Amino acid sequence: MPVITGLELSYFLILGALVVTAAAAVHMPGDLTAVIILSVFSVLSTVVFALLQAVDVAMAEAVIGAGFMTALFVTAIGKTRRSAGGKR
Amino acid sequence: MIRRVVPVAAGVFCLLLAAGFFLVLRGAVETGSGRDGPLLRDLFTTSSVDETGSVNVVTAILMDYRAFDTLGEATVIFTAVAVAAAILGKPRPTESQRTMGLLSRRLLSSVLPLFLLFPLFVIAHGHISPGGGFQGGVSLAVLVILIHVAFGDPFGQNVVPLRLLVMVEYGAALGLVAVGMLGIVQGASFLANLAAGFPSGTPGSLLSGGVIPVLNLLVGLKVAAGLSSLYIYLSGHEASRGDR
Repeated sequence: MPVITGLELSYFLILGALVVTAAAAVHMPGDLTAVIILSVFSVLSTVVFALLQAVDVAMAEAVIGAGFMTALFVTAIGKTRRSAGGKR
Repeated sequence: MIRRVVPVAAGVFCLLLAAGFFLVLRGAVETGSGRDGPLLRDLFTTSSVDETGSVNVVTAILMDYRAFDTLGEATVIFTAVAVAAAILGKPRPTESQRTMGLLSRRLLSSVLPLFLLFPLFVIAHGHISPGGGFQGGVSLAVLVILIHVAFGDPFGQNVVPLRLLVMVEYGAALGLVAVGMLGIVQGASFLANLAAGFPSGTPGSLLSGGVIPVLNLLVGLKVAAGLSSLYIYLSGHEASRGDR
């Protein structure tokens, strides 16, 4: 009978939350909601990378996924929305 | 006649592709079992400190063993910025002065100097602690983007002009290639580090690892300038003007 430690339990919880946020990012209505949920996904995967002792990858994922990509996506959504005359 | 042949041919092609894929994967798995010799992983963990002078093995691989790949990565960002500049055109700062509220601006103006310390630390200690030129460079780019978002585009253009960013990107790209050529001048290969006779220093100290800190700094500057100018090109684009 394998014993599940607290660290493993939190690891599996975060993995489950990754799946939930990924599905939510696809199925949520609205572009901005999806982008924000995607950045939450990115932060969670940062924790997973750090738990797997890949700190370099975790740092890159945090900065790019949660910081840079969110800024680019939000700007692009804002630009395209205004050009469509508020239709979407 | 042809209509019947095409699906059969496609099916046979897919089968062959799957078989080839399977064979390659099986070969990769057999090679990875390590029956015939030492694994590459063990080689890196045992000898990378002696061969590169960098305590952080990931940086040793990125900036020494695979430095040419890092140069290619920098070229990818350069190409992305060039294409964005060609498609989006010269950025025009919006006149509407869209900024954050007074409270956010006051708070950010006291937090931003501390935020600047993080990328500088990550770039300078890339060969000692986790991180490196790429991570620190993206943090710097996010800092520039934050200034633009919080204080408005005209202020951001005053603090970090687009011209300066472009110059930094060109200079860092030229510097990367120049450091690589220095290896050839010393009689070793392109982007060679300790093999070209650069001093390795004491592993673990700030000035160690031959040219790795220099490469870290150059990659960091290049990534920061490239990604932040990418954002400026995107945010300064007037979409309605392009529609007609």
